[in-house]
Amino acid sequence: MIELPAPDRQIIARRAEIAAGLSAIVPDGVVSDQATLRAYDRDALTAYGQLPLVCVLPESAEQVSAVLSFASREGLRVVPRGAGTSLSGGALPLADGILLGLSRMNRVLEVDYDNRCAVVQPGVTNANVTRAVQSKGFYYAPDPSSQIACTIGGNVAENSGGIHCLKYGLTTHNLLGVEMALITGERLRIGGKFPGGGGLDLLGIICGSEGLLGIVTEATLRILPRPPVTRTILIGFRSAADAGRTVAEIIGQGIIPSALEFMDRRCIDAVEAFCAPGYPAAAEAVLIAELDGMPAEVADQLAAVSSIADGCGATDIHDCSGEPERSRVWSGRKSAFGAMGRLKPDMLCMDGTIPRAALPQMLDRISQLSEQYGLICCNVFHAGDGNLHPLIVFDCMQEGELERAEAFGADILKLCVDMGGVLTGEHGVGVEKKALMPAMFTDADLAQQQRVKCAFDNKSQLNPGKVFPVLHACVELGRMHVHQGRLPFANLPRM
Amino acid sequence: MSTQHLRPAGDREAAELIRDAAQSGTSFEIISSGTKRNLGRPVAANGLLDMSALAGIIDYKPEELVLSARAGTRLSEIEAVLAEHHQIVGFEPREWAPMLGAPAGMQTIAGVVAADVCGPRRVKSGSVRDHVIGCRFINGHGEIIKAGGTVIKNVTGFDIPKLMCGAFGTLGVLTEVTLRVLPRAQRSATLVLYNRAPEAGLGALIVAAQTPADATALAYLPCLAIGLMDSSARDLRGAALIRIDGTPAALDEKIRLLRARFPEAETALLNHEETETVFRNIGDGSVFGHEGDIWRLCVPPSRAAQTIAEAEAQLWYADWAGGLLWLQLPASPEVAQRLRGITAKFGGHATLFRASPEARQAIDVFEPEAPVRSNLTKAVKQAFDPERVFNRGRMFEYL
Repeated sequence: MIELPAPDRQIIARRAEIAAGLSAIVPDGVVSDQATLRAYDRDALTAYGQLPLVCVLPESAEQVSAVLSFASREGLRVVPRGAGTSLSGGALPLADGILLGLSRMNRVLEVDYDNRCAVVQPGVTNANVTRAVQSKGFYYAPDPSSQIACTIGGNVAENSGGIHCLKYGLTTHNLLGVEMALITGERLRIGGKFPGGGGLDLLGIICGSEGLLGIVTEATLRILPRPPVTRTILIGFRSAADAGRTVAEIIGQGIIPSALEFMDRRCIDAVEAFCAPGYPAAAEAVLIAELDGMPAEVADQLAAVSSIADGCGATDIHDCSGEPERSRVWSGRKSAFGAMGRLKPDMLCMDGTIPRAALPQMLDRISQLSEQYGLICCNVFHAGDGNLHPLIVFDCMQEGELERAEAFGADILKLCVDMGGVLTGEHGVGVEKKALMPAMFTDADLAQQQRVKCAFDNKSQLNPGKVFPVLHACVELGRMHVHQGRLPFANLPRM
Repeated sequence: MSTQHLRPAGDREAAELIRDAAQSGTSFEIISSGTKRNLGRPVAANGLLDMSALAGIIDYKPEELVLSARAGTRLSEIEAVLAEHHQIVGFEPREWAPMLGAPAGMQTIAGVVAADVCGPRRVKSGSVRDHVIGCRFINGHGEIIKAGGTVIKNVTGFDIPKLMCGAFGTLGVLTEVTLRVLPRAQRSATLVLYNRAPEAGLGALIVAAQTPADATALAYLPCLAIGLMDSSARDLRGAALIRIDGTPAALDEKIRLLRARFPEAETALLNHEETETVFRNIGDGSVFGHEGDIWRLCVPPSRAAQTIAEAEAQLWYADWAGGLLWLQLPASPEVAQRLRGITAKFGGHATLFRASPEARQAIDVFEPEAPVRSNLTKAVKQAFDPERVFNRGRMFEYL
């Protein structure tokens, strides 16, 4: 089970006074009644909920800054929230903390085609960035699957990815600048419409910091001209190993598909039952490859991918670039999470990354674990970039199934690390994976990361209880000496 | 000041030296080949910490697009190994050593990362920080720290490798770097739009960047720069250069698309080899020779023409679609004030790239930071190197 910092009873007792203080800053944007607060008690890591002390919904950077300096002055904790789509509990509230919701700051402030960027407030949804620029043939590349709901502020906090990462990068590669507020209420701009550099890369550390360093109040995003042609092929295989070799060959030959998605047998069955996308019936694995660019370039690459797949023993190679076929093929992939609902009422979506070559071995190990835990696991894999999403289905009404599913998930993530990969490719650590951080980092590594947290927020008021397995006080970190990666008296409980 | 030269054989020995230094209040200037010692502010240090013994490629998996190397590995070695598998370092690192009075061909991967040495491809593929996916370094406590990973997609913990890029060794001593690498395009070509005055030439780069031709470099050379690069050239005003990559069929269609976009333009086409030469020169700053001070200005590309009009440089050229302006201008307080007036107005930053040590001591080499920002910079330094063992003053007096 997940541990959060112990709530401060004295602060909870001051709820009315704190709500009044916030109302003076954001007159029409404070939620403090229990019934309405219920709407903010969890994000997309639905197994965990907690009513916040109070929720404030500012409309401007000035108000954000004033809320933070109020919190700073009063010694209050602050949990930022965009649309609440985090799958790792990044926006899980604290009983004694202010929930700072940024959804009302939802304006696209400027589109600048000459500098190929859009300037937006943090509450703009990911999909609305593309919507704002598509009439001129542009788009915003990162496309997390929650893109119609998730916000840019949350995307920056989590360094969100999507299915096009291998070719177009994550949020961090498409973020040119931010305006942000620190916990002190001070505001600063980092980066902008010009190429970065000229000082420490603070933008790089802020992106993906899960709301622990500051609150983004404005973001400048790279927009790209939409490639004129996109083509899609569906490839069926007799084994996951054949699919894996195909992926390695494609990359090895210098082709970077805009998407390269893998699904295993169980997943194919589940989506066929759910929405009948028409995947090859006997396939043990399928790949969906998408190529984009100029017409001749894409045609060359499509021919190369088909011939590679053929050489690796593909059983079906199907060009489904035309509509409605293309949409149907993608609907299967995109409804994979929903399709799990037919198997069991609850699902844990894991998110490790592994070296691509380790896929067949990883799938074998997952199916062994699946038997051991007595739980079904389906696998969706962003094969291009090695990001694996095992979907563990369970029923939380059954005694002990949630705990078993969580233990199964933790074992999978530790396997990812053992195979040279990482705990999370795009969902973030949040509360979900913080206890696993020592599988990947030593105490010294984690202490170094926490010192960066202290550089921005030396009283740990911003989103405490996320990312780090143990919350150290900043003064303690300053003196702490770590020997060969291990703290002295590592078993002593620390504040 | 003593110039003790320490060359540890491995990371543990280096960590021990650093631990001792932190306790005794000693400071180090960090070097490997030492080709960039004239870049940045002069460092006041008690000794040289020479990391060149930590060399060699640790792991390279072409099908994973990932390469890990020890910090002191020469870039030339990495590029040669990648070339065997038709792959490249994606940010197109260039060779600045001759510009800075050092021999070419010796720079190491740690130097490239620390000094953010990225070339013309940045306009498409991003800078060094977009390609460093993991690293090991020694912090100012003498602890060996791992950050990031060896897979492309990773959001586990803070993205500390990015902080190491362009930090000029002020936060930690790199011992290992892991890069994501890219496939090399089959062919490159350059469409040249001739006879364009700066405003028209820089404007053409912005138009080209908005097409789906997916240019991998966008540069503008005014006539003086062209003449210095190629004495036989007779371009009266200047040239916009648009580099594209792909298979022969892809190049043809991209050229058609671009020509259609500039129907009135006088154009020429550079082949693969000519393209390599001209962009090597552009990335290396070879027009500047060995004399004269150099500034690098980053501005929003749409402001490049106006910046040039106000900067009053005789010899200059533009890369990154106009986002980067290389200027030959004196390292004087007046010029610093003029250029930083421009960056203050348009957004951006000015770096004094080449000047005498005295000038680099007297004039801010990097864009001065506003108080909130400089407090953060100091706090981040404190988080990594509280005793200020590393490269004291290299970027800012307080860093």
